[in-house]
This record gives sequence, C-alpha cells and structure tokens, in this order.
Amino acid sequence: MNKRRFIAQRAPAWRRFEQLLDRLDTISLRRFSPAETAEFSRLFRELCYDLSLIRSRDWGRGLVSFLNNLVSRGHNAFYRAPPGTLGHFVHFLAAGFPQLFRKNIGYFLAAAAVFFGTLGATWAIIQHDPALAGRIVPAEQLDMFEQMYKESNAERRKSSDNQSGRRRRAQGFDEYRPAMAGMYVQHNTSIALDTFGRGILFGVGTVYTLIENGIVLGATSGYIIAKGHSAQFLSFVVTHGSFELVAIAVAGGAGLMLGGALVHPGQRSRLEALRVRGLEAIQIACGAAAMLAVAALIEAFWSPSAIPNAVKYAVGGMMWLLVVVYLSTAGRWEKKS
Amino acid sequence: MPDWNPVRSQCMLSDMSSTGATPERSLSISTELVIETPENVLLTYRLAGPAVRLMAYCVDFLIRGAIIIAAIVVGAFVASAAGILIGPTAISISVGLYFVIFFIIDWAYFGLSESCFRGKTIGKHVFGLRVIQEQGYPITLWGAVLRNFVRAADSLSFYGVGFIAMLVAGKFRRLGDLVARTVVIEERRVSVPREPIILEKIEPLERTDLGGFVPAGQTLALIEDFLGRRHVLPYRRGHAMARVLAQALAKRLDYGGDSELVERYPMAFLARVYATFHQTREDEDLDESRSPAEIRRKSRRQAAAGAVT
Repeated sequence: MNKRRFIAQRAPAWRRFEQLLDRLDTISLRRFSPAETAEFSRLFRELCYDLSLIRSRDWGRGLVSFLNNLVSRGHNAFYRAPPGTLGHFVHFLAAGFPQLFRKNIGYFLAAAAVFFGTLGATWAIIQHDPALAGRIVPAEQLDMFEQMYKESNAERRKSSDNQSGRRRRAQGFDEYRPAMAGMYVQHNTSIALDTFGRGILFGVGTVYTLIENGIVLGATSGYIIAKGHSAQFLSFVVTHGSFELVAIAVAGGAGLMLGGALVHPGQRSRLEALRVRGLEAIQIACGAAAMLAVAALIEAFWSPSAIPNAVKYAVGGMMWLLVVVYLSTAGRWEKKS
Repeated sequence: MPDWNPVRSQCMLSDMSSTGATPERSLSISTELVIETPENVLLTYRLAGPAVRLMAYCVDFLIRGAIIIAAIVVGAFVASAAGILIGPTAISISVGLYFVIFFIIDWAYFGLSESCFRGKTIGKHVFGLRVIQEQGYPITLWGAVLRNFVRAADSLSFYGVGFIAMLVAGKFRRLGDLVARTVVIEERRVSVPREPIILEKIEPLERTDLGGFVPAGQTLALIEDFLGRRHVLPYRRGHAMARVLAQALAKRLDYGGDSELVERYPMAFLARVYATFHQTREDEDLDESRSPAEIRRKSRRQAAAGAVT
C-alpha cells in the first residue's frame, strides 16, 4: 500500500478518534454511549495497528509521531483506573487502613518508641527541672501556655460561684472553637504528613521530626505540670491526645516504611521495595491524617469545654480504648483473600 | 520482614523484558521513554525536564497563592458582614474554614488535581505536561497522593533534593516519582502531517537520465520528512543540508541530467526524485516477493510509458 493512499484511507478514522479523545478530555469514558464506547475501543485497536504498520514501513517520523500521540492519548484514556467512590472511602477507613496498619505494625512500634520515648524522657526531665524548658521552647511561648491554663483555672473557680459569668465565659470560648478546629487540622496534619513524606530520606527525616515534636511536646507538658496546672492540663489533653499522639506515631511509622525500604529492602531491589511499600505507606499516612481530623474536632470542641474533669478523664480513657480497639480489630472480620 | 513474593518478582522480570531493559539502557541519555502497550505497540513519550516542570510549578504556585488570597479577602468580607448580622461565631467559623482551605491547597491541590484530571494540574496543562505511571498507564489516586506527599522531602532546600534526585535517578524522576512509580511527560498536539510534496506540480526526472538504482523506501521517507520540515531551517542552511543528500543520491542514481539542479536547487532535485520513485515503491510494497531486478525492469517500463504519455 502506498503511503499517500494509506493516509487518505485512514485519515477519517484518525480524525474520528481524535474527536472522541477530545470529548474524553471533558467527560469520562463511562459517560459514553455503548455505541461510542465500542467505536472508541475498535478505533483504538485499529490505530495501534496503523502505528505498528507505519513504524515497520518507515513512513517517516511526522506520521509516526502523529499516530504515537493519538495512541498514547487513547491509551491514557482507555486504561484509566476506575474512580474511587464514597463506598471505597468508608471501607478504607473501616477496614483497609487498620488492616494495613497491623500488617506493618513493626514500623509503627519503632516510630512510637522514638516519639513517645523522647516525649516521656523530656517530660520527666523538664518536670524535674522546669528552668531547662527555656532552652527548648522560647520563654514567651512558655509564658503564653502558662497564662492560658492559669486563666482557665481561675475562670473555672470563679465561674462556679457566678452562674452568669460562667455562661458568658463559656460563650467566649465557643466563639474560638471553629477557628481552632481549622487551625488544628491544618497544623497537626501538616506535621504528620511532613513526618511521613520526609521518611524517604532514608528515614532520617521522619526520625528527626518525631524527636523534634517529642521534645517540644514533652518540654511544654513538663513545664506546665511543674508550674502546678496539672489537673487543668491533663484533663484538656487526655481525650484528643488519644487520636492525636497515636496518629503522629502512625504517620511516623509510614515514613519509616519508606526509609526502611531504602535501608533494608529485603529480597527486592531498593527501587522495587520502595514502590511496593510506598503504596501501603501512603494509605497508612492518609489514615493517620483522618485520625488527626477527628483529633482536631475533639480538641476544639470537647477538650476546652466546661465539663467536670472526672467526665473528661472517663471519656478520654474510653477514647484511648477506642483507638486501640479500632487499630487492632477493625477489618479483622474480612477474610484474607 | 519476608518481602519476597514470587508473583511480584515475576512481574518485575516481565516488566523488564517488555519495557526492554536494553533500549532503556541504550537510550539512557535520551529524553524519550519507550513503553510497550498490551496491544503490542511501542509508544514513545517525551520526558519533561526540570526546567519546564519548574515553570509549571510556578504557575501552580501562583494559582494556589491566588486561591488563598481570594479565600482571605472573600472570607474577611463575609465574616465581617456575618459578624455584624449573626455574631462572633460566624467570624470564627470563617477563620476555621480559611485554615481548612489553606491545608487543602497546601497538601491536596497537586494530588487531587492529578488524580481527577488524569495526571494534570493547571500548571501542567499550560505547559502540556502529564503525569503517567512508568508503564504508561494513567496515574491512580494513591499514586498521585503519594508522589505529592513526598514533596515534603523533595521540596527541602528549595527543591534541591528533588532536583538532585532528577539528575541521579534518570527519567527526570524526583523522589515522589520514584516511590509512586511515575514519570512526567510532555504532550504535544500534532496534526496529520501535510503533504509536503504536491505531486501534480512536480515533474518526475527524465528516466533516460537515470541508472538502474531504485532508492529505498527509507530514503524516500527521509526526503519527505526533510521537505516537510524545510521551513524550520533558514533557506541557505536547509539547502546546504539538502545538497549533501542530493549529491549522494545523484551519484548513486547515475544522474546524467542538469548538474546545476543538484548543486543549486538540491531541494527541488530531492522533490523530483521523490516524485519519480514514490509510485515504484508502492508496487514493491504490494508485492514484497518480487526481485529487485524485476522492479527495476518495471520501473523502466513505467518510465517509458510516462515518456510516451
């Protein structure tokens, strides 16, 4: 067959295929009518054949790159992954994430040891010697924290004698809650995702971020308790701490999976190990982000509310239990395939 | 940790043989990525380098900045209006929403747009870039999210980490691309190549001036490609390059006609060579089994017939 005759004969099909591709830029393949889908698939295979033919005949680069372009666009549209649905999302949170978490629990334990280890150690040291806190956290920030808890303690005491004052102050707190919720989502999740993403630097980035946050949290906690606001502080953090602290360690574990794949790839090549574990690690990190969203809501709306401390401790304990039960059992009912 | 999985490793092996470890290695300096589709077609993609990706990033950066500034401005107006009408809680809600928007723009802008728009962000669209999986498939949701969360590492020291990774890892992959198994390609819209040689206007060479040699189809395709892109080169440069081919062809063809044509108008000569032989090649393509001698005889006959009419 002659090149010119071939082009003349096939060009209508190419143009038609291009039209379909242009439509696929705006709508998805599933919106095509059955006839259109069939036509698209038939034309795609025809174009694949045309491209091979032109390659083997050496009919010039211009034609090859034209058809190459069309076929690669078709390939991209044709093999598109099915879109995720709300059902997938719910299933991911209800079962997929905890399953993957348990599968890779070793990394979580390592990250948790680093994070809670530094947190606990710093806490103990600073509580013993609060003067050291100034070396870790800027003094004005420490003052601010102390002021915060002192005020709310004073407020609590005052509000018990004065009903109207209590209502007014409680409302004053209410005003800030949605804003704080947004801020907690932004701030805490950013830390968690940074912890995860930097794990690819052989895990160093993750360990660094975990230690940094462990030290700052430990120093602040130890300082506030040493200043004598322990009841106020602990009742504040106990509930959301469950989701928040565990989620940071979970994200750290996901980061260590990336780093671990490079440091200790097992039977695979480093790149291949990175890809295989990366796919699981990202899902764990997204699960951690979801946990942090829950934590932010608790921290903004429940933790600062004027509920008796005993109730807060009880609910907080239940939350810790809930986190443990969720991560250790959710999704177990599904049979391994 | 037992990581060995026979199925997976088989995939790896077949992967290597199908995408062709050899072409990849031999083309390691080229910016082309060759993959084989399930239809057994080789597709070539042009990989996007750091420069164009930086420009796309800048466009995205401006868009993200604009969205955040717009959120602040609109939010401030709405909040102050709502603050008067409803009370301070409305202000607080809008501040909270601002933080959530900031978070989404900060962490999810790239991942969500790449998974929703088949590997494109607005900046990538402007520069004709697309993220695809290394095997040519469209990017998945997890892949898109993963490659953009690892930005946290790539963006350290003003994307210095990512830039070094691009240079070291090959195929211009930053760390996020390595983990998510993706590459960024440049897409160009190409139209059907126009006919560079309008055959009706070009008279074939006199057959009496030619020897028995018939140029290969490849040579004719080369001539056609060259003439099709002649406007890319300046007149003198284009003719100087065409002269090399024209002289070699004239010698091979035993061209006995006007040597002025070869020397001064090599492009015209090449066009006439094409006009003379493209018909011959067609016959040969129709019947590959025929011997070269027969083809030569046939082309002579044709030339004679052409001379008569």
